[in-house]
Amino acid sequence: MEKEYTTVVVDAMGGDNAPDAMIQGAVDAITKNAAVQVILVGREEVIAPKLEAYTFDKARIRIVNASEEISCDEPPVQAIRRKKDSSIVVGQKLVANGEADAFLSAGSTGAVLVGGQLVVGRIRGIDRTPIATLIPTDNGVSLLIDSGANVDARASHLVQFARMGSIYMEHVIGVKNPRVAIVNVGLEEEKGNALVKETYPMLKACADINFTGSIEAREIPHHGADVIVCEGFTGNVILKLYEGTANALVGMIKGGLMSSFRSKIGALLIKPALKKTLKSMDASEYGGAPLLGLKGLVIKTHGSAKAKEVCNSILQVPVFKEQEIVNKIKESLVPEAPERKEE
Amino acid sequence: MEFEKIQTIIADVLSIHNPEEITMDKSFKDDLGADSLDSVEIVMRLEEAFDIEIPDDAVENIETVGDVVEAIQKVKG
Repeated sequence: MEKEYTTVVVDAMGGDNAPDAMIQGAVDAITKNAAVQVILVGREEVIAPKLEAYTFDKARIRIVNASEEISCDEPPVQAIRRKKDSSIVVGQKLVANGEADAFLSAGSTGAVLVGGQLVVGRIRGIDRTPIATLIPTDNGVSLLIDSGANVDARASHLVQFARMGSIYMEHVIGVKNPRVAIVNVGLEEEKGNALVKETYPMLKACADINFTGSIEAREIPHHGADVIVCEGFTGNVILKLYEGTANALVGMIKGGLMSSFRSKIGALLIKPALKKTLKSMDASEYGGAPLLGLKGLVIKTHGSAKAKEVCNSILQVPVFKEQEIVNKIKESLVPEAPERKEE
Repeated sequence: MEFEKIQTIIADVLSIHNPEEITMDKSFKDDLGADSLDSVEIVMRLEEAFDIEIPDDAVENIETVGDVVEAIQKVKG
C-alpha cells in the first residue's frame, strides 16, 4: 500500500521558519499531489498542535518524534555522531532504511551534508557529494554544481561533479546532451588557477559528457552552459552574488517605477509582464537542491525557506524517484564498483 | 571482543570482499583506501554494533585497525 506513494521526510525543526513553514509546505504538497505522503520529523509536542490547525488527508502526513536538534553553529561530524535522536539523523535513517524516498531539510547545511554521507551513505566510488542547484537564466535553467558542499575539491572530484550534473540535467530536467563548462576567468585552456588548469584536460578527455570548455561568470545568466562545474567555494560565491544582485535589481526597478505619477501609471501597465518575468527568476519556484552521489535522496533548501519553497521541494521528489536518478548515477559512474551489502 | 564482527563492519563500509584481509596492522588510509568520512562511518557503525561511545580524541588518533580495536577495548573496559 505504502509503495504506491512517494514518501518525503521533512525535517520539521530545521531552518529559520521552522516548524511552521515545514508544516504548511507539507500540507500544501500533499494537497497538490495525491501520490505524495510526508513524514514530519522533529519534536512531536511542538509539531502536533500546529499540524492540528490544518485540514488535510490525515493518512498522508505523520509525525516521527526526534527529541534533539542540530543548530547551524555545531561542528557537523560531532553533531551527527552525538545527536542520534536529532531530526536530521532520525529523518535520514528513514531514507537509509528504505522507509522513505527522500529527506528534505532547511537546517544546517554541514550537518545535512555529513549526515547524508554517514547515515544515508555515499555511492561507492563517489569521493565527494556536491550540492546541485538549479539557477534561472535568460533562457531556461542551468545547474550549478557544486554550489557549496565542498569548499575545497580536487580535479578528480570536479570530473565526478561534471558527470553527475550531466546525468541530472539530462534525466531530471530533460536537456539532451547537456553542455558542461568549468567556471574560469577566461576562455582559453591555459587560463585559470591550478585546480582549473588540472581539471580542464581531464574534462576534455571525458567521452561521456559534452564538455564545451570554460565559462566566465558573466555568461552564466545568459545560459552559457547547462552544467556549470566548480568547487563549492566558487559555486557558493556565484550563487549568493546571483541572489543578491537579483534582489537588488528588483528593488531598484520597483523603486524607479514608484518614483513619480507617470512611472506609476507605466508600472500598472507592465505589471503582469514584469511579474511573469520575475517569477521565472524566483529561486523558490525551483525548490531545493539535491546532494548528488548518495545512496538515497537528500535535498537541501535555503535556511530561509518559506512554505512555498518547502512545498515545491517536496513536489520535486516524485520526478527524482521516477527518473531513478540515484541508480543512473550509480550505473554510469561506477559500473565496476561492488555495492555494499544491505543490512 | 569479536574481531570478526569488526572485520565484517569495516569490510562492509569499504566494500572489501574478503574481511580476513583486514588485519590489526592495516592502515585505514594507506592500505584499505578509506578517506576521513569512511573512517567516521566505520566508527559510527562500530559504536552502534557494540553499543558504546568512542570519545572524540580517540577517534582523531585512529590510523590502523589495531587503533580501533584498542579504542573499543578501552571504552568497554
